[in-house]
Amino acid sequence: MSIARGMVLQRRRGAALLLAVLSPTLLLTGCLGDQLRPLPGLNQRLSQLGNGHDPALSGRWLALIAGQQGRQQVQLIDLERGLPVPLIGLNRPDSQPLSVAVDLSGERLVVVRQREDRTELVLHRRTLMATERLPIEPAGVPRQISLSADGRLLAVEVSRGGIWQVDLLELP
Amino acid sequence: MALVLLLAGCGPLGLRRQPAPPGALGAENREQPALSGDGRLLASLVERGGRSTVLLQDRRSGQVLPLPHLRDHQPHSAPSLSWTGRYLALLIQQGPHRQAVLQDRASGRLLPLMLPAGREPQRLSLAADGRRIAIELLDDGQRRVELFDLSGLLEPDLAPGLRQSGGGEVLP
Repeated sequence: MSIARGMVLQRRRGAALLLAVLSPTLLLTGCLGDQLRPLPGLNQRLSQLGNGHDPALSGRWLALIAGQQGRQQVQLIDLERGLPVPLIGLNRPDSQPLSVAVDLSGERLVVVRQREDRTELVLHRRTLMATERLPIEPAGVPRQISLSADGRLLAVEVSRGGIWQVDLLELP
Repeated sequence: MALVLLLAGCGPLGLRRQPAPPGALGAENREQPALSGDGRLLASLVERGGRSTVLLQDRRSGQVLPLPHLRDHQPHSAPSLSWTGRYLALLIQQGPHRQAVLQDRASGRLLPLMLPAGREPQRLSLAADGRRIAIELLDDGQRRVELFDLSGLLEPDLAPGLRQSGGGEVLP
C-alpha cells in the first residue's frame, strides 16, 4: 500500500516538474503566436539591397526603392525565386525614384521620380524595356501611387495649388 | 468634371482620366490613395476633426463604406487593400506609437500586426490575396523593408477563378 502511494506521489512530482519546465515555453509560444511571422530568407535578400522604402507588393512581385544613400533605385524582386529582376531602361543616373507601384504580372511598373528640377510620373513596361512619361493634367506634383492588379487603373496623389488631390487614370 | 473627362480621352498615350469619387465634405485634401486589387474600392486619407482619417469608397458610386473599428484611433496612414477590399491594412495611433493593424471587413475583426520591439512601421503594402505584407520599418534610424507571412492568420482574398497557390516563403 505504502509502495503504491509512494509511486503516485512520485508521478505527481514528475508531472509538476514537467509543467514547471514547460510553462515558460508555453507562454513564449503564446506571445510568438501574436507576433507577425517574418520571412527570413527573403528579408535577408532585401537587406542586401541596402536601405529600402516605399514597398509595393503584388502577387509574386515586390517593387521597392532601395540602395545605398544617394544611389537609390527601383528594384523588382521575384519572391518565388528570391531574386531581383532587371529593369532595363528604368533607372537613370540623373533621377531619384520617390515611389513605385507594380501590377500582378510584374509587367507594368509606375514610378514617381525626381529628375532635374521636376517630379515626373512614368510607366515602365518591363518586357518591352520601354519607359514613357504619363502627363498630369491639370499640372501638379505627383507623390504616392497605387495600381490595380491588372495594371489598368492608377490612382495618383497630386499636389495642385497647395491642395492634395487623387487622380484616377485608366492606362492603355 | 465634364472638362476633365473631355481632356481625358485626348492624351498622347490614350490615357483616360476619371474623377476620383468626391469626399463627403467636397473639396478637401486627399492623400495616400490605395486601390483594391480589382480596382473597385479606393481608400484615401482625409481630415476629420483635424486628424487624418481613412476614407473607404466604392470608386464608381462614391459610396462611403463604414469602418467603425477605426474610429478614435487617428491619425491613420498608409492604407493598403486586398483584392476585393475585404482586408484593409493601415497604421493607427496607439498611445505614443504607430501600430500596424488589419481590418477584416467581412468579420469586423481588427487584428493588430505585432512587430519586433524597437521597429516603427512607416508604410504598408498588403498582397492582394492577403497572404503576405511588406512593411517599411524605421529601425535604429534606418529605413528598410521586411516581408511577413499572414497565411496562418487570414483566409485568402482571391480573385475569382484564381487557383490556390502555396503561401509562405519559397526560395531556390
